[in-house]
Amino acid sequence: MTAAVEGIASAIVLEEADIPQPRRRRRRDGTGVALTVWGVLVFAFLFLPIIVMFVYSFNTGRLLASWKGFGFTAYTSAAQNPIIVSSVITSLSAALGAAIVSTILGTLGGIALARSRATSTSVIIATAILTITLFTPEIVDAVSMLPWFVSLGTDWGLGVFNNGLVRLVVAHAVLSVAVVTFIVRARMQGLDASLEEAAADLYATPWRRFTQITLPVASPAIWAGALMSFTLSLDNTIVSSFVQVPGSTPWPVYIFASLRVGLRPEIAAVSTVMFLLTLVALAVVAFVLRRGDQSADDIAKTLAAG
Amino acid sequence: MARRKVNGYAAIGFPTWAYVVFFFIVPLALVLWYSFGYKPDLFTAHANDILSFDRYAEALDATFVGTFWNTLRIGVIGTLLCLIIALPFAYWLAVKMNPKWRPLALALVLVPFWTNFLVRTLGWQIVLSPRGFLSDALQNLGIIHGRLDILYTQSAVQLGVVYNYLPLMILPLYVAIDRAGRPLREASADLGANRWKTLFTVTLPLAVPGIASGCLLVFIPLMGDYITASVLGGAQGNMIGQLVASQFNTAQNWALGSAMAVLLMVFTAAAVIVFGAAGLIIRSLVRRSRRVQLQGGAA
Repeated sequence: MTAAVEGIASAIVLEEADIPQPRRRRRRDGTGVALTVWGVLVFAFLFLPIIVMFVYSFNTGRLLASWKGFGFTAYTSAAQNPIIVSSVITSLSAALGAAIVSTILGTLGGIALARSRATSTSVIIATAILTITLFTPEIVDAVSMLPWFVSLGTDWGLGVFNNGLVRLVVAHAVLSVAVVTFIVRARMQGLDASLEEAAADLYATPWRRFTQITLPVASPAIWAGALMSFTLSLDNTIVSSFVQVPGSTPWPVYIFASLRVGLRPEIAAVSTVMFLLTLVALAVVAFVLRRGDQSADDIAKTLAAG
Repeated sequence: MARRKVNGYAAIGFPTWAYVVFFFIVPLALVLWYSFGYKPDLFTAHANDILSFDRYAEALDATFVGTFWNTLRIGVIGTLLCLIIALPFAYWLAVKMNPKWRPLALALVLVPFWTNFLVRTLGWQIVLSPRGFLSDALQNLGIIHGRLDILYTQSAVQLGVVYNYLPLMILPLYVAIDRAGRPLREASADLGANRWKTLFTVTLPLAVPGIASGCLLVFIPLMGDYITASVLGGAQGNMIGQLVASQFNTAQNWALGSAMAVLLMVFTAAAVIVFGAAGLIIRSLVRRSRRVQLQGGAA
C-alpha cells in the first residue's frame, strides 16, 4: 500500500517537474523562526553530553564527575595504563576485523540480492533472515551467541572460538553484515545492470566483470558499509561483554565494568581520542565518496533506507 | 519483467547467508531449545533431557511482568518523545534549511550517532549529577532548591533513551519528508491550501513510511537496551534486558534466561504488531473521513 502511495507521489512529482515553477521567496515568518530555534535546541541536546565528556577529559581530579582543575593528567595516565591501552587495541583490532569480514560478506550479499529476481524464494528468505538480525534485541543476540561459542569451542573441538578476538570479530560481523548488505543492495538497485551485461557480451570473464565493473560501481556503498560496521563494532557493549574472554576485554566493556568501581577521567580522555579518530575516519570516507560523486545527502539516505 | 540474467551473481551471496545462518539463526534456535530445559544443579548451567514449558511459567512471575511493563512504558513514551522531537527537526532540515548547509547539518546529526553509546550516556551522568555543573547553575538561578535530584530515577532513564535513539528517528523522517518533495508542497499551495493544510494533507501523509520505520528503529533496540538503565537508572531503572542478562551472568540459569529472552522477543513483536495495527486503523479512518469531505466538496 505504501508502495502505491509512493508510486503515485513520484508520478505527480515527475509531472510537476515538467512545469516551470516560479521560485518562491522563502518568507521569514513566525513558524520558520520557531523551527530554526527548535533545530538549534535539538543540536544542542545532541551535542551536550559529547561536549561535557570532552571538557571533563581535562579534569585533573580522581573522579570523572567531580571537577578539580584543568590539566592533561588524564591523557598521560591513560597512556601509561596497560589495561586501558590493551583494551583500546583489542577494540580497534576487533573493529578492523569485523569491518573486513562484514564488508566482504555484505558486498557479496548485497550484489546477489540486487542482481537476482526480487520475487524468488531465496531472495525473500535471505532478506527476511537479514532483517531479523537487524531487529533482534541485542541482549538476545548476546545470550544466544555465548552458549554457541562455548559449545563450538569445547564440544566441537574448534579451539579457535576460545580466542577472545575471534569471538568479538565473528559476533560483531554478524551484527553488521545486514547493514552492509542493505547499503550495497540499495546502491546496486539504483544502477542498471546493462554495464555488466555489456561486459559479458564483450567476452569478459565472470571474474573480470566482477572486479572491473561491479566492484568499482558498488564502491561508494562498500566504503560506507565498511565505516558503518567499523563504528558499530567500536560501539558494541552488550554482545561484547557476553562473548569476551578475560584478557581480550574491549574498551566499552572496560568502561562498563568500571561503572561499579567509580569512573575516572582517563575514560573521558580515551573517549575523546577515539572520537577524534572516528572523525578522521569519517573525513576519509567522505573524501573517498566525494571522488565517487555521492553527496552526504545520498549517503545519509542510503544509511537511513538501509 | 523480461530482464536478461547476466550471470551467476545470485550464487555469490551464498557465503553471506551461510555465515548468518551459522552464527545467528542456529544460536537463536539453540536459545529456543534451552528454554524448554531446566537447571539441574548449582554447578550446571542447563540440561535438556526433560522438556517442558515450566521455565516459561517460572519466567512469568511478578518481577518479570512488572519489569516488562516498566520497559514497555519507557519504550512507548521514549518512541513518542523521539517522534515529537524529531518531526519538526526533520521538517526543518528537509524543507526550511538552505540546501547549501544541509550536508553539514546531516553530518552533525550523524556525529553523536557515531560516538560511543556508553560514553554519551556517561556524559549525561555527569550532566545530571547532583553535584554537577547543571545542578549548581539551576540552583544559582533559583530554578531548583537543593541539589538536582534526577540521576538514578526513571526520568533519567527516559531522558537517556530519548537521547540515545533520537538520531535513528531523525534520519528516516528526513528521508521521507525530503522524498515527498518541494513540487508537491508547492502544488498544494497553488491549489489554495494554506500551510497547515499542506502539512496535514500532503507532507505528513507522505512521511508515514518514514514515521513507521523510525518508530521501529527506535522502539525495538530500546526494548532490549539495558546499558542506559544501568548507567542512569541505578537500582530503580530496571529494564527487562537486565533481568535476562543476570540469569546468564549471575544466576547461571541458562534455561530460565533463554525463556526470558524468548518472551522478550515475542512480547516486543506483539507490541509492534498491536501498535502497527492501531496505526493502520487510524490511517484508514483518516482516509475515509477525508474522502467523504472531498465528495462533499465536489457535490
